[in-house]
Amino acid sequence: MTSMPTTRSLLTALALLLTAAFTAPGPSQANTERHEHAVGFSVNDARLRWLPGDLPLAGYFALTNTGQRTARLVGAASPAFARVMLHRSTHRGGVAHMEHVEGVDIAPGKTLHFAPGGYHLMLMKRRHRLNPGDSVPVTLRFADGRELSATFRVVGAGAQ
Amino acid sequence: MGNTLRAIGAAALTAVLSLTLAGCGQKGPPWALKDISGLMPPLKFTLTDANTGRTVHAADFRGHLVLLYFGYTHCPDVCPTTLSRLSRAVASLGPRASDARILFVSVDPARDTLADLKRYAPAFGPEVVGLRGTQDALRALTKRYRVTYGYGKPDSDGNYEVSHSAAVYIFDRQGKARLLARPGDKAAAIGKDLARLDADR
Repeated sequence: MTSMPTTRSLLTALALLLTAAFTAPGPSQANTERHEHAVGFSVNDARLRWLPGDLPLAGYFALTNTGQRTARLVGAASPAFARVMLHRSTHRGGVAHMEHVEGVDIAPGKTLHFAPGGYHLMLMKRRHRLNPGDSVPVTLRFADGRELSATFRVVGAGAQ
Repeated sequence: MGNTLRAIGAAALTAVLSLTLAGCGQKGPPWALKDISGLMPPLKFTLTDANTGRTVHAADFRGHLVLLYFGYTHCPDVCPTTLSRLSRAVASLGPRASDARILFVSVDPARDTLADLKRYAPAFGPEVVGLRGTQDALRALTKRYRVTYGYGKPDSDGNYEVSHSAAVYIFDRQGKARLLARPGDKAAAIGKDLARLDADR
């Protein structure tokens, strides 16, 4: 019986943490519904695949929309890079293409996978040296002005 | 009567199927990857090895299993994903991993310097070799294996995408084209076929 409140308080703490990860939306997004429908996300397995020199890197993660409305991811930024873009790799007729993506919708309760061979962040022009094992902050931006900060691990070139 | 006809039909079908399989040169169990034996010409190229800066020819790799892949270093997703998969497949050969070479041929020689390739290729494993050539040398090699590549429009920073064939051509020790690995083929499947090719001396 004693484990129940502990679990509940852990969950509450976790929910608070996730909520705290958001920066307050700009004035244009201020609305009365915000507090009633505190939209959350959870980010898992956030990582950047290291490459030598100043080659662009790919960022991967799993982003779950735990809120009640569709969220649209429209961009990302990191203090460690001059530029971050949303990209998608596709295969057409045996040929690999990479294309810029304007935004990706995530329905409530759904998880969006940025994973090798598909959607990925493309992080360009390092502002400082990076090595596998480092941690890099990345902010994900949504169409409604919300932002979500996450820590990405730098993994080796040969990581999956 | 109907049954007899059906039996004859089935026997004929079996005969045709076995002839078809024999015609493909199928020996033993099927390969996990696509068998391209006899469908592609033997390995032939003249390129520069980024590691040594020297000119290399396909003949220099005779005696090794060769995995030939085309890509470019400013490709953060598909190329590292493929090279990582190939490297894991080769590593699955254990002590025999040194029998294989993964040749990464740049389809973006304008941007990929030898120095870039020299740093890039070994990041995926000791058996990965970065190769660079002139557009003429590259055109000859890609035409030989019907590999396509193209350049996108540069953005304001001068960055551009390069589209390129995703397949990996696998050659035996004699330089004969044997298998084709495609994006959906897992490292384990590639490793299994490499082990079989490796055992075939």
